[in-house]
Amino acid sequence: MVLAVKAENLKIGYEDEEIVWAVKGVSFKVEVAEIFCLVGESGCGKSTTGNAIVGILPPYSITDGVLRVFGKTVIEGNKRDYTGVRGRVVSYVPQNPGSSLNPYLTVEEQFYYVLNSVYGWGRRKALEEAAKYLKMVDLDPGRVMDYYPHELSGGMQQRTAIALALSTGAKIIVADEPTSALDAHLRLGLIRLLTRLRDTIKLTLIFITHDLLSAGKICDKIAIMYSGRILELGPSGKILTEPLHPYTEMLVDAVPILGVLKPLKAYGGEPPPPNVEVKGCLFLDRCPKKFEKCYQSHPSPEEVHERIVECWRYV
Amino acid sequence: MQGSSSDKLDISVAVRNVQKTLRSGTGIIALIIRTWRRSHRFKIGLLISLFIVIIGVLAPFLAPYPRDGLGYVPEDALLKIRLPPSQEHLFGTDTRGRDIFSRVVFGVRSALLQIFLVVSSSLLIGLFMGVLAAYYKGIVETVINYLIELFMSIPAIVIALALRLVLGSGLLTVVLALIITWWSWYGRVTYIYSRSIVEMDYVLLAKLSGVSGLKIILRHVVRNASPPVLVQAVTDLGSVLLEASAINFLGLGLPPDSPEWGVIMQEGIQYLSISPWISVFPGVFILVTALGFSLIGDSLREEVDPKLRRRWRLWF
Amino acid sequence: MAEPTIVKLENVTLGYYTIPKGWRSLFKVKQPIVFNVNLNVIDGERVVIIGESGSGKTTLLKTILGILPPFQGKVYVLGKSIYDLPAKERKKITRQIGYVPQDPYKSLNPRVKVETVMMEPLERSNLTDREKRERIVEALKLVQLHERILEYYPMQLSGGMMQRVLIARAIVHDPEILVLDEPTSALDVSIQAQVINLLNNIQRKLELAMLTVTHDLAVAQYLADRVIIIYKGRIIEEGETRKVLTQPSQEYTRLLISSYRASI
Repeated sequence: MVLAVKAENLKIGYEDEEIVWAVKGVSFKVEVAEIFCLVGESGCGKSTTGNAIVGILPPYSITDGVLRVFGKTVIEGNKRDYTGVRGRVVSYVPQNPGSSLNPYLTVEEQFYYVLNSVYGWGRRKALEEAAKYLKMVDLDPGRVMDYYPHELSGGMQQRTAIALALSTGAKIIVADEPTSALDAHLRLGLIRLLTRLRDTIKLTLIFITHDLLSAGKICDKIAIMYSGRILELGPSGKILTEPLHPYTEMLVDAVPILGVLKPLKAYGGEPPPPNVEVKGCLFLDRCPKKFEKCYQSHPSPEEVHERIVECWRYV
Repeated sequence: MQGSSSDKLDISVAVRNVQKTLRSGTGIIALIIRTWRRSHRFKIGLLISLFIVIIGVLAPFLAPYPRDGLGYVPEDALLKIRLPPSQEHLFGTDTRGRDIFSRVVFGVRSALLQIFLVVSSSLLIGLFMGVLAAYYKGIVETVINYLIELFMSIPAIVIALALRLVLGSGLLTVVLALIITWWSWYGRVTYIYSRSIVEMDYVLLAKLSGVSGLKIILRHVVRNASPPVLVQAVTDLGSVLLEASAINFLGLGLPPDSPEWGVIMQEGIQYLSISPWISVFPGVFILVTALGFSLIGDSLREEVDPKLRRRWRLWF
Repeated sequence: MAEPTIVKLENVTLGYYTIPKGWRSLFKVKQPIVFNVNLNVIDGERVVIIGESGSGKTTLLKTILGILPPFQGKVYVLGKSIYDLPAKERKKITRQIGYVPQDPYKSLNPRVKVETVMMEPLERSNLTDREKRERIVEALKLVQLHERILEYYPMQLSGGMMQRVLIARAIVHDPEILVLDEPTSALDVSIQAQVINLLNNIQRKLELAMLTVTHDLAVAQYLADRVIIIYKGRIIEEGETRKVLTQPSQEYTRLLISSYRASI
């Protein structure tokens, strides 16, 4: 069974005066028709990892390790080859839904240009396909096709962006913070839409977010990233109710939840910036449960029950 | 916390912060240092410009015939009309027997004076007009925009013509003519940038705290609106030189006999096929000087904002 | 003994002017966004206005800050109807408000040091330089920032630090009420918790009234004694936080809560 995405010790960095690693070695597997979440705070490397899967890393990036998409090796060491993958197998929905739509073109024209350049289809075929995908995201093609992006509401823009991403035949969609700009009921609508797409067309979804609660609701597997590494990886239900890694615990404690009157525990400090050498565990200075071993080196991933954790307490 | 160890920590943190600011700083000095490190064009441009400036500063010492340089005709002039370049006269002599090398060297001063006067004045005027229009909006905005459109559409040479009739020839004519047209371009760019700055929350906060309009403009708006125009101004030093030389060449600016490149070219234009050195050497200097400033400006601009659209300005 | 009312909106209808197309462009047209709103904030109270995007909540803030006169109705701040006053008087009163804008990245001038940011609200007061400095240090302490931060530029700070600087700036001139626009939306989860706790601490310590505007129900729960639900420019429901959020009486409120629950 081919995995949708497989990463083996993937590292991504860029050259400043010396090499700075934004992603310091992550390994994970994404099955087909799985919804996989990369969760973390700003600067942890989740967007960079997402960009690596889509194939939009900047040319001055440096990589290491292996990344495979549907069996094809797209990253190996410092070589990157996305032919046939970028735009075809993997598509991208950015954070601000409006920004992936060309403000000068109507929805109809957007679809036409994309499909024409990828598959060479004529206008009629492109529009048929467009209508098909728009219906898939619960938009009425008759109403939406003639509109310019700024005439659509935020929610509709996002659905259009998703339809556009799907229309290229992508089997994997990487969505960057899709819920952050949305109100609660739009968020709900999006979650329902994405789960339905997963069930009907076997879409694999990679969700990048800092919204722990949405991630828990929609994702099958969650990877908690911090400072360029995955500290905990496992099925979403259990991770949030019984967190293993102290950082996951911290995130869960810090999230305000309606109806739950717990005091919010705020942990001070910040993640170490990527160019700083850290001796010992990356989470060291903020961890309330550290002991001697933690000062020596960053722990390697350990399998605990169904999860993978990077913490010396489980070794 | 111990005294010395935390001091050491503070110093290294401070050094790192300076490095970080320089790397991502928005200040002009940080920008210049960054561009020097990254761009070869910048280095070349800077070298050329410095070279020219030094020539200008040392003009009286470099010129073998300083009186010729200032425009005076030497006593033995009639013997030396239009001599080709030689050991005594590196660039030859002109139509009245003066050493061209000396004239060109003194011409550096004239060129630098003109361009810096024009660019600094237009920049100041344009900056303030643009910022005022964006901040106060309403009728101020409408009037200033109208003025910008008006002056942007009139070529400097036409204005120079008009001023020549009123003011006669001289430095004031050429400088004023250029300022009158150039400020509008800075005004427009500043206006566009300031429009978004004025909507920023830090301006709102300043207003709510009761800070006076002028202070807000100086502290918040101008500081953020000026980098793009300042960078553009450096490139414009080159463009203004071309335009100023053109005006002087047409006789609308400085009078004949002035140590000014455009003027010297004018004198030599009739003899271009016989004694090309009279026009060619000042022409080359115009080119090189303009190139130097343009290289500096272009590389700075790329560093600041690769998306900065620029208007291609011809020299007429 | 009744507590003084810091802010009161009486039957306020509010919006913007638009210029219609065609010949009608000679006349500006009123585009109301908020309709017949009545609300008040009492001294020492924490009130949160909950509304989704487009509900008019930001427009309400603008009128309270004194920068958007209503089409109808009166806006009272500290007992005075501010739009019936000349501009100078009005600004004097609205200066007693401490405002924390939504996006910390847009609310700090990148070319200005934190020191200047903190000094700005005090420029108009007649305190000595030393007194000003003391106030600034105290305000920074309340948001758990060290004096050292005064020398920094906003770019060198993290999002959480920037937000804290903004909060410190809002309280340094000893305001009567703290007004916040989506204080946590631009922040990471762990920083959100810090800021929420911080705000409650400050509010308690300085005995301030606090008015927050947000779309996040959970954040509202932590920052409110009383909530006001706004939808399409009208106030749908208001009341004590716990009661409204557990036993809402209005359909829309129920919808908000159920959407929230379904998405977590």
